Parts: sequence; C-alpha cells; structure tokens
Amino acid sequence: MKPLDRGIMSPHDFKRRPNQIGYGIMILVIIAMVASMLYPILSTLFNGMKANVEVNSFPPHFLPQDGWHFENYKKAWNFIELPLFFRNTMFIFLGNMVVTIGVLGLAAFSLSKLNVPRKKMVQFFFMMTLFIPPTTYIIPNFLNLKDLGLLNTFAAFWLPAGANAFFLLLLKNFFDDLHFEMFEAARIDGASEWRTYTQIAVPLSIPIFSTLAIFVFSTAWNDWFWPSLVMHNNQRYPLATAIYKYVIEAQRMDVNIRFAILTFVMLPPIAIFLVFQKYIMRGLHLGGVKG
Amino acid sequence: MEQSTPAMYGPPDTAPKQKSRLARGTRKYFWGLLFLLPAIAIFILFLWVPIVKGFVYSFYHIDFVKGDNFVGFDNYKSVFGDSDVLIAVKNTLYYMLLCLVIGFWVPILFAIAISELRRFQGFVRVAAYLPNVLPFVVLYGLWRWFYDSVGPINGLITKMGLDPIAFMTNKSWSMISIVFMETWQSFGSAMLIYLAAVLSIPRDWYEAAEIDGAGVWNRIRYITLPSISKLVGLLLILQIIATTQGYQSQLAMLDGGPNKATLTYSLYIVKNAFTRLDYGVASALGVLMFLVLGGIGVLQYRLQRKGEN
Repeated sequence: MKPLDRGIMSPHDFKRRPNQIGYGIMILVIIAMVASMLYPILSTLFNGMKANVEVNSFPPHFLPQDGWHFENYKKAWNFIELPLFFRNTMFIFLGNMVVTIGVLGLAAFSLSKLNVPRKKMVQFFFMMTLFIPPTTYIIPNFLNLKDLGLLNTFAAFWLPAGANAFFLLLLKNFFDDLHFEMFEAARIDGASEWRTYTQIAVPLSIPIFSTLAIFVFSTAWNDWFWPSLVMHNNQRYPLATAIYKYVIEAQRMDVNIRFAILTFVMLPPIAIFLVFQKYIMRGLHLGGVKG
Repeated sequence: MEQSTPAMYGPPDTAPKQKSRLARGTRKYFWGLLFLLPAIAIFILFLWVPIVKGFVYSFYHIDFVKGDNFVGFDNYKSVFGDSDVLIAVKNTLYYMLLCLVIGFWVPILFAIAISELRRFQGFVRVAAYLPNVLPFVVLYGLWRWFYDSVGPINGLITKMGLDPIAFMTNKSWSMISIVFMETWQSFGSAMLIYLAAVLSIPRDWYEAAEIDGAGVWNRIRYITLPSISKLVGLLLILQIIATTQGYQSQLAMLDGGPNKATLTYSLYIVKNAFTRLDYGVASALGVLMFLVLGGIGVLQYRLQRKGEN
C-alpha cells in the first residue's frame, strides 16, 4: 500500500476555509518561534561587531549601523588567556573520555557478555545511583574530593567520570545487541577476554562511543559551577568557569568585547551540532528515556 | 537466570572434578569480575561514599583547620530554626509550578504543529534545538543583556507605549524571567522527543477518523494526545525531579536575589556550604532533601502499583 500523503490534516482538509485560517495562524506561530530562537543567537554575533557606544544605545538595533568592528575580536582574544582555558577544557574532556571508555566500557562488556556471580545485585549496585538526586550529595561529594586530596587536580574530574550509571546503561544496552557468536569464535581461537574486548568489542562500538563523546564534550564545555569549586587555581579553570568569572561577572567591561568573547565560546558547539546533527539527535533519543 | 540468557558466554565448566568449588568459581568468573573491578571501585569511591558520608557529615561541625567535631542534632536544629529554609522551600515550589505553567506545554504544542509542516520541517527542528547547544555562560551573558532595563525586550515594550519592566530586579518578575529563559533554551529537546512520537502515529488512524467525520481538533484530541500521553507522563515526572534541584540559573543570574526571591532550596544548600562555609548544616539540608524526595518516590511507586492492580 502506498503511504498516505497526509498528517493529521488531509489534502481535503486544506480546501476548507476555517482549516486554512487555522493552519495559517499555526505557520505564523512557528515563524515567530523560529525568529525568537535565532534572534538572540544572531544578536550575540552582531553585538560583538558593534562599536561599544552602539551596543549601549537605546533602543538597541539588530545589525551594526555604524560600521562593522571586526577589531573587537582581536581585543576579545587578548582579554583573557583563551587558549589556556581552552586547553584545560580539552584536557578534562579527553581524560573523561578515556575513563568512560576504559572503566565503563569494560564494566558494561562484563555485565553484558561475561559470567558474573549475582549479576542482578551487581547491576542494582550500579543502577540504584540513577535514582539519587545529585544535588542531595553535592556537599559530601566536594568534601570527599577534599579528603582524597584531589581538589585542584584534573583527576577530580577524570576519576568521577567513571561513576556514571547512565553511560553504563547506554553501553550495556549497546553490547547486548552485539552477537555473542563473534566473541565465542574468538574465544575458541584462543583469544583472552581482554583481546576480545579490545579487538572486537571496541571497534564495533564506535557509534556508541561517538554518542558518548558528544555528551562528555558538552558537559566539559558547559559546566562552569562545579569546576569553580574544585579548582581554586585560576590557571586550571576550564573555559566555561573562566568566562563566568572574568567575563559574565566582570563589572567594568566593554559590552561589545563581552559579546565578542561569548561568540568565541558559542561557535564551536554550534559548529559541532550542525556537522554532527544526526548523531546528536540520536543521542537525544537515548537520553530522552533516562530515568 | 544466568543460564537462560543466550548472550552469556564464558569458559565452560570443564575444570576437573577434583578441583575445589572455589577454584572453579574463580576460573569461571575471573574475567567478568576483573573487568568490573575498576567500575565498582570508582562507584564506591565517588558515589556511594559521598552519599553515605552526607549522613555522617550532617552530625558534625566541619572545620578544615581545627578538624571536625561531633555536634549531634545541632545542625538539624539550626535548619528547623532558620526562617530562610521556609522561604527556600516556597521558592522551589513556586519555581516548579512556573516551570509547569510556562514551560511544560510548549514542546507538546510545537511538536504537534511542526509535525504538520509539509516543508522546511528539518530547518524548523534545527532552529528550535539550537539554543540547547548554547553554553550556559553564553545563555547568562546574553539574557542579562536581554532583560536589561535598556535591553531589546524593554526596547520593544517602550515602543509599544508601555512602561519598561525590571525583569531582574523586580521581586515578582525575577523568577518568571528565569523560567522563561530556561524554557527558551531547553524546550527544543523535549519538543524533538514528542515530535518523534507524534510522527510515529500511523497515518491511517487519522484517515479512518476523518471518514467517520472527525474534524481536525477532534483528531488531535482523540488520536494524537492519547497516543503520546504515556510520554507526557514520563517527561512530566522527569521535569518535576529536575526542577526540585534547580539552582544554577538562579545563582548565575541573580545570586538568589533580589531579596531572596530566587533563593531555591538547592541554592540554599550551595550557599550554606560555599558562602557561609557551614558544611555541616549544608549536609543536613541535603539529607532532608534526600529523605523528602525519596519519600515522594516511594509513595509514587506505591500509588502506581495500586493503580495497576
């Protein structure tokens, strides 16, 4: 049967006047929504190119009317040590990724494909943590890091990255769908479990690892509050924390330069999103069912 | 249980009979346990220990210099004697309510509307999701300017001949402004989840309803909405859980002000710890929150099971 060329409304409905009016209103509302999504993002971009007098004028205009000031970007680049903070963020991201794949990947593989005594209880031990709201233990979490002597080190981000039951669940679900005959064959050929994991399971898991990479990246790029507590040496702040402390909270600062810096921080995730749209939308569906 | 899952495999039990049970168990489970070990250690060290320690710390006065000392229920007494706790609870409930009233229905409405677009659907989806990828610090910087007394929103309002609104500094507007900002940023992700559900409804159901004489409204009312109702319930619970814990926007935009109008419970925990450096009281507040949320969770689970029987 040919798929029906209709949604809730059929071609026939479109011939009736009340429906046409309703549909027209709906289109207008959607256009207004799209405009209100894009306008603030674009105004960040354009405010970064205005002269400071113009950003502060009232009422504000959307496009720069008194020349495009690209030299703002140069000033913005030199305002704080962006490359240093960027390096810190990438450092956190890469370490978190290594721990996620190393620790959680191994554990998920074990739960999915290997013999584990009392597997139900072991899974409960991991998954139970999903039901405890993180804010209730944010303070002891901080004190615990202090007791372990991890404050002000990057290990304070890397090691706890392995304590993520949600990622463990995603990895386990992925491994559950891999055929066990493949691993059986490798084992009969004399491969150790370590080899079956690194040489069979890991190469097959590139899709789920990329999805996790997007999650881990967006956390590392976004998180500003927790790093501001854990790191007290400002040379180790990740980008988001540095921007919050030195740009958002800055009392005396040219508004156009502020927006130029915000543009720098905003463009990489937007670019990544536009390029990897498909994977991100898929990750969203995985994320949508988290409990 | 373990034998019944076909995905299970491992060294078969071929160990000689005379070997002890322990040795056979070790051989059978060696790799499985070895691979789990790092994760178990990290979960204990960075999740379970803090969760348990929260209860312990709530009975101590924490002092980084002189060392901790046991104070019994003093931390809890000071929590119950603190009028700000009541304000914080009220603000949290108000915040949760506003998130439902302002934010919850928006993604459902747009999911249904966008599913009916015949062209540019991909573009509209991307545009709606775009604010989600903005880093929080950009969101805060941008919306501080948007809500400014000389910002674009007030520009529009004065152009229409109305009085400007102090979105941030007026007590009755500040929480609404924060919820509106958060809805702007995050409604796209919920919208995409709803949209997938709406698009998966079989088209011939609508065809059948139309033949039976149902108008467009009735098709939405009796087909679309019932089909996504379970998802609506799930996202409702997730939103309620998430909003009980909201504090970052309130902290970044207004620091809990003006005059404690955006001081939520979670923000009060954070402020007790990192502004007043009273980690014991902050831990006690965390434990109380844990007990209340856990209690609600158990209650909800019980009610759900009763409903099913």
